[in-house]
Amino acid sequence: MEIFPALLSVITDPILLFAIVLAAAVGMIVGATPGLTASAAIAMLLPITFYMSPLFALAFLYVIGKSGRYGGSIAAILFNTPGTAASAATQIDGYPLARAGKAGKAMKVATISSVIGDLMGDVLLVVGVGFIAAIALKLGPPETFAIYFAAFVVIGSVIGKSIVKGLASALLGILVAMVGLDPISSEERYTFGSFDLSNGIGLVPLMIGVFVLGEVFAQVEERRKATGETKENESSADGNDLTWEEYKPCLPHAVRGGFIGAGIGVLPGLGSAIAAFISYGEGKRRAKNPEQWGKGALEGVAAPEAANNAVSGPSMAPLLTLGIPGSTIGAILLGVFLIHGIQVGPTLFLTDKELVYKLFACGMLGIIAYGLIGYFGATQVAQLILKIPTNVLYPLIFMTAFVAAYSARGSMFDVTVMTCAGFIGWLMRKYDFNIAAFVISFVLAKGAEETFRQSLLMSDAGALIFVERPIALAFLILGAGAIAFRIRGIMKERKLAQGGLGDA
Amino acid sequence: MRAYAEGLVLAIVSLAAIWGAWQVPAASPGDTWAGIVPFAASVALLGLSCLLLVGASRQTGDVATASGDNNATPQIIALFIIALIYQQSFRWFGYLLPTAIVAPIVLYMFGMRSWIGLAVSVVICPLVFHLIFFVLLGVFPPYGEVFDLLSWLQG
Repeated sequence: MEIFPALLSVITDPILLFAIVLAAAVGMIVGATPGLTASAAIAMLLPITFYMSPLFALAFLYVIGKSGRYGGSIAAILFNTPGTAASAATQIDGYPLARAGKAGKAMKVATISSVIGDLMGDVLLVVGVGFIAAIALKLGPPETFAIYFAAFVVIGSVIGKSIVKGLASALLGILVAMVGLDPISSEERYTFGSFDLSNGIGLVPLMIGVFVLGEVFAQVEERRKATGETKENESSADGNDLTWEEYKPCLPHAVRGGFIGAGIGVLPGLGSAIAAFISYGEGKRRAKNPEQWGKGALEGVAAPEAANNAVSGPSMAPLLTLGIPGSTIGAILLGVFLIHGIQVGPTLFLTDKELVYKLFACGMLGIIAYGLIGYFGATQVAQLILKIPTNVLYPLIFMTAFVAAYSARGSMFDVTVMTCAGFIGWLMRKYDFNIAAFVISFVLAKGAEETFRQSLLMSDAGALIFVERPIALAFLILGAGAIAFRIRGIMKERKLAQGGLGDA
Repeated sequence: MRAYAEGLVLAIVSLAAIWGAWQVPAASPGDTWAGIVPFAASVALLGLSCLLLVGASRQTGDVATASGDNNATPQIIALFIIALIYQQSFRWFGYLLPTAIVAPIVLYMFGMRSWIGLAVSVVICPLVFHLIFFVLLGVFPPYGEVFDLLSWLQG
């Protein structure tokens, strides 16, 4: 019930309301611009939040993340270029609808479904997060480490093309996080006698490097690939209006997608792209008109959009209760909490409960804000994006990355870290390593190490403590099971591919 | 070939990480070794690099060429070198002068061919970034050890 006073408090704060609306608009534009991601925008804005109050900073970035997820659908439907990985599923039916002159209709279905999914996710978060926090408070270091371990393995193995490269990315993230002084014994690790390195690698420059500068490097490559050919969409008078009769068959798909997205959102690392594709597949399987899916079915837009956005709220549950970010946006938000001296974890609900619920309230109002802007202004947003000259945009982003990295701590070393992280981020992208696993593991590493060593001290250096405690063992098995499940999936895909080639 | 290169690079990184972890002094009695997590992570990374190398040796032909290779790599490396020089020059010349020089270069690299636009960027870019970050947000600007344009302008 804490959410109602929190909502009232946020609604009565005009400056916060303005920030939410602004964040909704910014997120939508960023998400809809191909090549720009909400993660990049949040990373770039992170240093600015040093100068804001914790709630203002968190709400601003959280709403950008939410709105950015939705914004991806605008580019997917109108330009056949998904603004985010998650909106690739929306593109399957969204773009044929736009080509048939029903772009406005498709956009409205995407908006309504995104709002339904996102609100469902947030309501489930508000209802469930207290219970998860109460359970998390009872967990000891061995159980917490086992959860961290499962998160590393799931994040490393489930996302991306290769399990080995995914796990390697996670390990690289852990190793980078180890640079600096050991928090327990104050021994230097990987510092090579450098004073700057003894302070460790900062989260903010690393994020800006990987997500912002790395993206600029990637765009140089993309610009070479782009052919510059764009097809004009058809336009018809009735293509922009959506009637209740038209949306009615979409509603069950949106609600189902909301539950799928919320369920997947709680699991760290799986992310909205997986939720969107599962929801699309499930929707098509249950559809009355499966033959129409892929050719321009409105239901084919509703199902993935609801799931994609429903991930947002529940993905905050492991972040807030255990300190485990479920996504790259979550990892950056964790940085904001730390910057403002707020310890994330089960005790957060004892120390800063009011802040947490106000953040949820801001998220809900953000959904309504992007819903309204999207329903009435998505086409205008698309026209605005078409007018942005990319040959000016990316150089500006390039230069912003440097000044933003410097602003975080006024440290030139951070700018060097950001520059190197940008190049490494581009290399990782180019060679199919997993950026999300790298960044999330970097964020998780310190907490995981602390709980691991506390567990060893509890058991007089015996690693059996992780096997003797049932909850810890269950999470270790979950991690191993995730790898086994993924390997099985890959083997299946290979067999199918070989069968296909054999048939040919 | 590419898979071999990836495996080899990872193996070198992991060996360096193992060596680095080994340099961490031993734990005092009753404490845990500060190098335990870096050591375990780097050994695991070495294992994964071996898997990559084994996978590479099983590939029958040179199947995996760099996906989407379109000769953009030299341009990206050039941009990275500019980035390195740009960040280093903050230390020597402060923020304004390096930004005034780098802005038109990067704009040109991204396809801006209007000479007026490039000339305007020399003034506008440092000015706007300076106003936003160093005036409005109150961040203390980096001071150029060799020559600082901001100090010179401020007299």
